[in-house]
Amino acid sequence: MPHLIDLKNVSRTYQRGGESLEVLQQLDLEMEGGSFYALMGPSGSGKTTLLNLIGGLDQPDSGQVVVDGEDLATMTSKELAQWRADKVGFVFQGFNLLPVLTALENVALPLQLTPLSKTQRRDQARHALDLVGLGDRENHRPRELSGGQEQRVAIARAIAMDPTVVLADEPTGDLDRGSAEQVLVLLERLNKEMGKTILMVTHDPLAAEHAREIVHLDKGRLGRRDANGNVPVGGNAGEDAPS
Amino acid sequence: MTLKIVLRNLLAHPLRNFLTSGAVFFAVFLLSFLQAVVSTLDAGVRSASTQRLWVQSAVSLFVDLPLAYESKIATVEGVEWACKWQWFGGIYKEESNFFAQFGVDPETFRKSYPEIIVDDEHYKNFEGNRTGCLVGKDIALKYGFRVGDTVPIIGRIFPRPDGSPWEFKVEGIYESKTAVVDQGTLYFHFDYLKEAIESGDTDGEIGVGVYLAKVRDGADPGQVQSAINAMFENGPQRVNATTEAEFGRQFVSMLGNIPLLLRSIGGAVLVAIFFAVLNTMLTIGQERTRDVGIMKAIGFQDGAVFRLMIIESLVLSLSGGLVALGVAKLLEPGMRMALTQQFPGFAMSTNTLLVGLAIAAGIGVLAGLLPGMRIRNLTPLQGLRGQD
Repeated sequence: MPHLIDLKNVSRTYQRGGESLEVLQQLDLEMEGGSFYALMGPSGSGKTTLLNLIGGLDQPDSGQVVVDGEDLATMTSKELAQWRADKVGFVFQGFNLLPVLTALENVALPLQLTPLSKTQRRDQARHALDLVGLGDRENHRPRELSGGQEQRVAIARAIAMDPTVVLADEPTGDLDRGSAEQVLVLLERLNKEMGKTILMVTHDPLAAEHAREIVHLDKGRLGRRDANGNVPVGGNAGEDAPS
Repeated sequence: MTLKIVLRNLLAHPLRNFLTSGAVFFAVFLLSFLQAVVSTLDAGVRSASTQRLWVQSAVSLFVDLPLAYESKIATVEGVEWACKWQWFGGIYKEESNFFAQFGVDPETFRKSYPEIIVDDEHYKNFEGNRTGCLVGKDIALKYGFRVGDTVPIIGRIFPRPDGSPWEFKVEGIYESKTAVVDQGTLYFHFDYLKEAIESGDTDGEIGVGVYLAKVRDGADPGQVQSAINAMFENGPQRVNATTEAEFGRQFVSMLGNIPLLLRSIGGAVLVAIFFAVLNTMLTIGQERTRDVGIMKAIGFQDGAVFRLMIIESLVLSLSGGLVALGVAKLLEPGMRMALTQQFPGFAMSTNTLLVGLAIAAGIGVLAGLLPGMRIRNLTPLQGLRGQD
């Protein structure tokens, strides 16, 4: 059975201040569908770059990024946009809600890209908001919500389109411990109860404990452990990477 | 949702956007006003009849023609009748109350202008009263003239020897359906003027400023025009017969190239306001960078965010423009009244309003293009990071 996410020999280099910074070097990675991955590593290790490549927000300099059977490196920006709308739900550290829209409107925003009627879009957005426990906050603007609530709205937006994979970049980075825990439990539920594949970038070992599998990234090398720190059967190369 | 996002974004900075919209308001109002002036000047030319020819001195419009020319012109093949017109150039009470006055032949005047609306009974009274006059609706409203009133006019070209004013009794108030005849003129009997000169009741010389030659139905106006010019080729005074349209053009050109001047002023204002709106839109574009990044990340296409910026720019510009056009239309009667001497028949026509609307829309689209292209070309990551 093919992997949901399959990266082969992926490299990505950025130009910073006239210097080349090779963030990812000939990286190979395979991820199964239906799991909850935590991607950990020190700052600058390329975690967010990897997430962006998998989410089709960025493209590799070389190599292949195949997600759900589609090679993203061969897609045009227009095709990538459509693909992101269909397959990916994003959750960002800074929440990234549109400040002028209410919680419900933010959640319904990606549904604009579907042929659903206005009523259907509203119902689906309400359902997503109910799932994250914010059904009673649908008319609140982001500034009227707490950080934790904003992130839950962002999660509702991410799942509104019923994506194949949810990519969360430091989703608890701006939250206090209590709110962070709520968000993590919510992501865990999405994985367990709705079967969503979740890939979460985090610095926080406590946050990573909610994942079923932890992938370590450091200087282009991968290491993989399950949530208990054990190497899973069939684990990828790089078992000696720092945990 | 698009319009909702646009409106809420605009309302998020009410003062800045109100001021920008206000700039468009003043620009569109001014441009529409100037366009209306130009259209008013052109209206006489556009509405001109081919069946009316004007015969003036070949030397200058300010040189009178002999009285005897009336019967000669009337004998030209294709001419139905000739009507005398003489500029009076008087003042109603004081200098600032200037409006045009002409001495005309009442009988042929009305026949020449079926576009003039006046009560038949009133016109009959005008024809029957040597000191009677017809006044246009606009000056009647402005100065409160009513039928039966006496209008004192101080003669400048034809002054009374004792300095007293001429007195004309208002026998009728006319309206005009054509831009060729404005509603700000007083018409009186040419013969009243002629007799006053002959009897010494006024200074000045007897003459006719211009003759209006009515072309008979079916006759070729061009041939009639040539025939009139040829008739007086050897004097005693050469004439220049022109079409009504050409005659109107001469009047406009006497003011200098007013349309060009007005259009130049309007163009300069337009450019200045365009840059003001563009500046606001560039700022708005910068502010939208992160939102655009979010929208692109969740799947919106480049074209969708580009349209969003164009719509935002259009709404900003059209809001000011539409209010300006509404205000201009509301003020039209007052402006027509105030400008009845300078630009008789001033009107905010549908065409003028459409030009104003097109200008507002044009500013909106053009000012949205640059920021629109910028956000269109942003990658999702550049947008999310707030980068250019």
